[in-house]
Amino acid sequence: MAVKDVLLYPHPALKEVCAPIEHWDETVSRLLRDLVDTMIDAGHSVGVAAPQINDTRRVVVVDVSNSKLGKKQENHGLLQMVNPQIIEREGQTLVREGCMSVPDYTGNVARAERIVVQFQDQSNQLQVIRAAGFEAIAIQHELDHLDGYLFLDRVSSLKTDLFRRK
Amino acid sequence: MSHFALTIIGRDRAGIVSEVTGILYQLGCNIADSSCSILGGQFSMILIISHPKLENQESFREAFLPLEQSGLSVFLRTLRPGGEERPDLEGEICMISVYGADKPGIVYRVAHELGERQINITDLNTKLIGEKNAPVYVMMIEAILNPGVEIADVESWMASLKDEMKVDISVRSITPMEL
Repeated sequence: MAVKDVLLYPHPALKEVCAPIEHWDETVSRLLRDLVDTMIDAGHSVGVAAPQINDTRRVVVVDVSNSKLGKKQENHGLLQMVNPQIIEREGQTLVREGCMSVPDYTGNVARAERIVVQFQDQSNQLQVIRAAGFEAIAIQHELDHLDGYLFLDRVSSLKTDLFRRK
Repeated sequence: MSHFALTIIGRDRAGIVSEVTGILYQLGCNIADSSCSILGGQFSMILIISHPKLENQESFREAFLPLEQSGLSVFLRTLRPGGEERPDLEGEICMISVYGADKPGIVYRVAHELGERQINITDLNTKLIGEKNAPVYVMMIEAILNPGVEIADVESWMASLKDEMKVDISVRSITPMEL
């Protein structure tokens, strides 16, 4: 068990484009374990991306099954994703997001409603899954971290969108 | 460090933000929270500012003079110590959309239902839209629900208002997804 500190902006790791994992070694399994431990320790947040614990490789973990919102919807439980890639996006939804690395601030972000995502799982097996709802949003949010994007880069309006659309 | 609330409003035109913030920068003020927007034809700025040395409003008067001369209204309020700190508001955040044919009392009646139950409104926007001969009033309220209060409770408080005022009201949770 290794719970890591979740980095806060302006830590530079949060703005880096992360490197894909090309050679699978034990550091990958350790990183996945650390990410899961850190996620659970942080009041069971719904996901953590590697750069948030200062490892700039393309790895995230997501688990919405413990959250109030996520457990009401269909989900895949714990997802350990190495080199994840969104290969299809469908629909659009506006959600208010917050992030452990940017405390005390939230913003409305436009996300795809449904996605198809491809990744290598914890056993280095290629997986392709469909995700929707909260799980899809969480995956999109965590994957953004791998490209150095924070939700702040995606905010479409600080308040309601209604009055800005002219 | 003294904190102030600064409110500036005047006919909208290009350059207001630049002029105001230029003066604040020259004075050595920090801008903490701020919200600026066009309301009607007026640009309005509300800022919480601080200054390490300046303690009274007199010190600002001269610096703000050019703004007032250009037609902007400037109002400065000194905050009591701690007045700059955001309270820790816990609870589910809900958005209440209210819209319908314009008539007197829409804002008050909805706000009253919330106020008498000690529900804290944290954001409120209203706008008059639609045709001149058929104006539609739109109001968006963000409120924090006290522990034990559910979205369905808010819906039930609004149900009779909806019928009585012939407006549409919908309530939904917008509690941020903590990711």
